[in-house]
Amino acid sequence: MATFQCAHCLLTFPEREAVYDEIDGNKKVFCCNGCSGIYRLIHEEELDDFYEKRRWDDAGIPAALFKKELAIKPFTEFIRDNDSRKEIDVYIEGIRCASCVWLNERILNSTEGVEYARVNYATHKAKIRWDPGAIGLEGILKRILSIGYVPKPYSESEQFKIQKAETRDLLIRFGTAGFLSSQLMIYSIALYAGYFQGIDENTKLLLEIIAMLLTIPVVFYSGMPFIRNTLRGLRHLNFNMDSLITLGASSAFIYSIYQIFTGGKVYFDTSAMIITLILLGRYIEATAKGKASQTIEMLTELTPKEAEVVVSSQSTTHGQSVASGDSTRRAVSSQEVKSVPISSVQKGNLIRVRPGERIPLDGIVIEGESEVDESIITGESRPVLKTSVSEVIGGSMNLYGTFIFKVTKTAKETVLSSIIKAVEDAQARKPKIQILADRVVGIFVPVILIIALSTVIFYLLKGSSSHFALMTGISVLVIACPCSLGLATPLAVLIFTTMASTKGILIRGGEVIENISKLTYVIFDKTGTITVGKPVLKEVILMDPDLNKEHMLTIAASIESLSEHSIGHAITEAAKGLNLSHVSGFKVIPGRGIEGVIDNKRVVIGNRSFMYENGMTVAPLQSLDHIVQQFENNGDTVVYMVWDKAVKAIFVISDIVRAEASEVIDSLKKENLEVSLISGDNKATTNSIASPVGIEDVISEASPIMKKDIIHALQQKGKKVMMVGDGINDAPSLTEASLGVAMGRGTDIAMESADAVLVRNDLRLIPYLVRISRKTYAIIKQNVFWAFFYNIVAIPLAVAGVLHPIIAAGAMAASSLIVVINSLRITRIGQR
Amino acid sequence: MWTLFFLIFLSIVLGVGAWLFFLWSVKSGQYDDVEGPKYRMLDDDDEKK
Repeated sequence: MATFQCAHCLLTFPEREAVYDEIDGNKKVFCCNGCSGIYRLIHEEELDDFYEKRRWDDAGIPAALFKKELAIKPFTEFIRDNDSRKEIDVYIEGIRCASCVWLNERILNSTEGVEYARVNYATHKAKIRWDPGAIGLEGILKRILSIGYVPKPYSESEQFKIQKAETRDLLIRFGTAGFLSSQLMIYSIALYAGYFQGIDENTKLLLEIIAMLLTIPVVFYSGMPFIRNTLRGLRHLNFNMDSLITLGASSAFIYSIYQIFTGGKVYFDTSAMIITLILLGRYIEATAKGKASQTIEMLTELTPKEAEVVVSSQSTTHGQSVASGDSTRRAVSSQEVKSVPISSVQKGNLIRVRPGERIPLDGIVIEGESEVDESIITGESRPVLKTSVSEVIGGSMNLYGTFIFKVTKTAKETVLSSIIKAVEDAQARKPKIQILADRVVGIFVPVILIIALSTVIFYLLKGSSSHFALMTGISVLVIACPCSLGLATPLAVLIFTTMASTKGILIRGGEVIENISKLTYVIFDKTGTITVGKPVLKEVILMDPDLNKEHMLTIAASIESLSEHSIGHAITEAAKGLNLSHVSGFKVIPGRGIEGVIDNKRVVIGNRSFMYENGMTVAPLQSLDHIVQQFENNGDTVVYMVWDKAVKAIFVISDIVRAEASEVIDSLKKENLEVSLISGDNKATTNSIASPVGIEDVISEASPIMKKDIIHALQQKGKKVMMVGDGINDAPSLTEASLGVAMGRGTDIAMESADAVLVRNDLRLIPYLVRISRKTYAIIKQNVFWAFFYNIVAIPLAVAGVLHPIIAAGAMAASSLIVVINSLRITRIGQR
Repeated sequence: MWTLFFLIFLSIVLGVGAWLFFLWSVKSGQYDDVEGPKYRMLDDDDEKK
């Protein structure tokens, strides 16, 4: 008696469900025929390497397992013509690791008629080119389906397309500026040499003119976005980073052109380098943002756009629904249905859901039964059984059977849509973080303008020529622009995110750093965050002194190993390594318990009401109240094991607290943070988790939307809140909080809504994240200081009228170097 | 003097060449998947022909 692991999807399952298959003489065990079919196909294609290569931490049912049909229509509008070939981009659902990409590419490339297939590792998007004479699109997509992945029509959102185009545009602008600046440097160095050694006037003029020609595209093409933003900001007298760059670059450029004709010194290199370095910083920022949140899109993707409404409801007579299971199933799948858009479905309509389809709306099952994967909403990874009167949640995935359910909420009211709305609201409200450098610049620009203006006025009053006064004034603007300012923040952020990711924290966006450094409050979700998130056997209490614990556990586990209930799982898990006995006459009574015969004893395990039903009298159970009560008060689940009409043992099962939790909370408090625990459970349960780990502040019985509102209220009071959670029900609060942190084993939605994701489910990463962010923020501040420092020191030289191109170049090099070296210090801090 | 002109001309030609190559590489999507190559490199070894 044991559980098996599927050779394909790694799912563990009880023996009675095993599917055996022999593949080339090797016996393999699978959880279902679907997996065995996929395994066989992969073997036939000689791609068994896949099983060696893949790195799967968790089991996972193949996405396509229950989807046998594929509608080709949605794909057709995306097909492109490429000479005599056809081309399409499809999104492949179910890719979890690099080997999945490899497997898909192999299977596609070995398909006849496919000329080119390549899957993008980051986006899971496949580009496929094929010969329409040899194969149709349907054949290709079926191949993907046959190995357990689902191809989906791929359409990028407008926002994502724009973002992608912007990043590409930035790269071209930066690349162009980079090449021109490196060319320009050659001529500038020649000119510098000329300052020291003397240079022939004609050669100097030639070099200066070439330098000017090289600078023109840098300023007016690469620097165009800055110029445009400056002109826009000018109307509101709004000075930002862009105005400083434009001011610096254009004054250096205009000044230099003037100097060519008067035989002075040129600053073309300063002008070009400012723009190039700033563009580099912008590009680093843009690529880091590339994977930015697409939460809402993912959420809406979950809801089907159409539903199959049952047209003739008279076939669902009572006579049929109480008939034997088989005929019910037939009745369910033979009903006449009509596809209608989801928005026109009314409350009370009957909707049919077939295997492999997402349940379109919330409702109650009327007919048929099936197992449903609700992991995307609830985070529970095991399929949930749905029979008559079970509630189903829109967006969850129907796995095995066909059923009909009655709609209880329209498309606008479902659980999923309320979550979508909450996330949208929170995202719209989230204030844009103003980068530190921007704030400094806002003051700096007017100050510089005043200094330049005063310089001009001073020289005019002193009686200098107006030409000299003007040029000196402009030279102040030339030196004032700190070009390493653009690098100060992005570089530190880049190093910070790299450091964090090697430790197992994924960071989305650089605002995280500033937000954490100002953090005052941390809220933990209970289930799955502070606790492990799955029930564990906590205690076995013996009722008969002659028995021993191990023996009791063996008996219980022998029976429970046949059950799929999470409590059964906890007991079986605890009995790992024990020799289980043979069980006959196994029976499950849903919502009550289980029974089976071991050594001629009829053993019953279950909750209290199950005990009464099995002939126990009230008195002996009530005598146990004083023991049981204290556990139930703590929110633990208690099950009784009974035979021969006597309670033999009590099993206490509860969700256990993560081992590192109290240590983590301790170190967060040392960082001067307030910590509280939030949960949808009742007060007793929440308290019983909170007090042992040292959390005094507890918020219980909070719905997802309430959690969000609580965070909102705290932030209104001026607190900076970090929310740590894992489920889709945490998505609204993760988005609302100044900083949302999702647990890595949480749902995709939770991860998409969060600003940081813990890849390893280790809470100790949180204090680490707080520490390294605070250090990084300090370094960014220093960077901004050093970026300004050299230029500010050089301003008096400009005011005195003795500025030299080499000083400008030196300030630029020195400050850039300091910024780079200072940013690299984060690596050292981060390793600790 | 002619050496100077020639070298300037040469450096500009080379620079423009590199720039055009860069433009081509961006536009043909060479930078679109920077994650993939590190895995592909390892996969190519076990190719069975």
